[in-house]
Amino acid sequence: MEKPSYNTDIVRGFVNWSIIWGLVAVLVGVIVSLQMVNPDLNFPPYLTFGRLRPIHTNAGIYGWGVGFIFATFFYMAQRLCKTPIWSPKLAKFQLWFFNATIIASAVTLLMGFTTSKEYHEMEWPIDLMIIVLWVMFAINIIMTIIKRREEQMYISLWYMMAAIIGIAVLFVVNSAAVPAALFKSYSAYAGTNDANVHWWFGHNAVAMALTAPPLAMFYYFLPKSTGVPIYSHRLSIISFWSLIFMYLWTGAHHLLWTPVPDWVQTLAMAFSVMLIAPSWGSVINGYLSMNGQWHQMRDNYLVKFLILGLTFYGLQTLQGPMQSIRTFSAFIHYTDWVPGHIHMGTMGWVSMIGFACIYYLVPRIYGNEIFSIPLANLHFWLILIGQLIWSISMWVAGVLQAGMWNAMNPDGSLTYTFMETMVEMYPYWWARAIGGLIYLIGVLIFIYNLYMTVQKGKKSSSTLTEAEGRA
Amino acid sequence: MDLASVFYLGVTFGLFAILVGIVLRTYSKKRKETGEAPKYKMLDDD
Ligand code: HEM
Ligand code: HEM
Repeated sequence: MEKPSYNTDIVRGFVNWSIIWGLVAVLVGVIVSLQMVNPDLNFPPYLTFGRLRPIHTNAGIYGWGVGFIFATFFYMAQRLCKTPIWSPKLAKFQLWFFNATIIASAVTLLMGFTTSKEYHEMEWPIDLMIIVLWVMFAINIIMTIIKRREEQMYISLWYMMAAIIGIAVLFVVNSAAVPAALFKSYSAYAGTNDANVHWWFGHNAVAMALTAPPLAMFYYFLPKSTGVPIYSHRLSIISFWSLIFMYLWTGAHHLLWTPVPDWVQTLAMAFSVMLIAPSWGSVINGYLSMNGQWHQMRDNYLVKFLILGLTFYGLQTLQGPMQSIRTFSAFIHYTDWVPGHIHMGTMGWVSMIGFACIYYLVPRIYGNEIFSIPLANLHFWLILIGQLIWSISMWVAGVLQAGMWNAMNPDGSLTYTFMETMVEMYPYWWARAIGGLIYLIGVLIFIYNLYMTVQKGKKSSSTLTEAEGRA
Repeated sequence: MDLASVFYLGVTFGLFAILVGIVLRTYSKKRKETGEAPKYKMLDDD
């Protein structure tokens, strides 16, 4: 089969912009963590914790996460389908529209416009922009898959399709609202129904944006990095379908002990525990793919990022089901334990996979060898240490907080006032800010390494064709 | 049990039946080779 000419320009564009938004996310993350230990760092009205926090979460998930989803999906789809991207022009327009959407989101959030629904804070005009953006992306990838010259579909393509269709459905359903003004709307759902729909969206956003895409990337970039196929393609297919069958029922684990009907909570709890199986199906598949290759953990920095990322996924999908059990939830819900869980997922699993993909892609799309492997290793250790400090300090803080909230005197009164429990958190919030700073330094080293790769990296003979011959 | 509950139960069992069908199909002896083929193919030179 004659080799198709793949489009690398668009991959470059999304790689570059996702890194920029990733830096913004981490930088603002550090700022909000410092605001929590020092309230004087709040500068009203724009630069307060309340306005910066959603900028951090949205820049993290949608700017960085979805940004590198766009980059890697365009890269993987072309190669797995052995056909160029269906419409390069549409993809190019999508890049600009993506940045416009992120900027519009940031500006309106800073101005204080918000639906107040977490991970869906943007008001209806921006929702419309997001829908247009996603439709463009979906058409391009789905058409590329339809036009493929490879009959069978590799597992990554399944996860990609699930993410594309899943996010579209979730987002549209959760967007339903009645506009009252240009930047004000009221949800189409009321009361507990609203909460239920919102967390159905919220948790499945975790599934479709922070689980399925990184898995698609892991299944693609691990074998590409080690040169050895995954352990079992059939196991990956079974894990995929069972994940898809189970995830949609779990949203209400965010609403345990609330007025949402009991049976809905129990259903979510049961399906969350069942989710361990498909999640670990992928984790075990990943580990077994390293059979006879474990030495690559020492020799190949890409493998280090990928396997550590997968390990965080494994831990995340054991901790998550635990949190979904009513009694456990009663203890840790509303405490700092939960951000610890989230950041093991975002800073550990999602970002580690993102870093690995970008390290893999940059030499191939720019035709230069990576500038410095020791710097890539340093980056690895800094983000690992930063992330561990971040999450572990929050888990300890969460247990302490829960213990203090629950402590009672013999007469039944509370032992501690809420203020006392807050004061106890300060050392842990400091630890988190320091962990965040270490992580930020790691990210800056990553960016420097990539910048030098593009500017001064040695031309690589094996990757030259891809980057220059067929842009 | 009202009609709606019977319907939901039916959908649930239907979904499980589809999942079991997928598992059996994927792991059938006949499909062993084709089922594993994509993992080798994806390693082809890009
Ligand atoms: C088997 C898989 C998982 C289960 C069952 C699970 C379960 C949970 C539960 C029960 C909560 C709510 C905690 C609380 O507020 O009391 C939660 C929160 C969260 N989880 Fe997971 N989790 C899983 C995997 C993941 C993964 C892979 C990520 C990826 C980053 C992730 C990201 C999040 C986020 C962002 C939240 C915060 C939602 C909020 O703002 O309240 N989870 N998870
Ligand atoms: C140095 C890196 C980071 C730092 C210092 C940081 C810091 C923070 C802080 C202080 C909060 C507020 C927690 C609270 O309200 O108690 C937060 C929330 C959050 N961050 Fe980060 N973050 C970092 C990286 C990331 C990344 C890379 C992502 C996404 C890819 C992310 C996603 C989130 C999410 C989803 C929440 C909401 C948590 C919740 O609802 O409990 N963070 N972050």
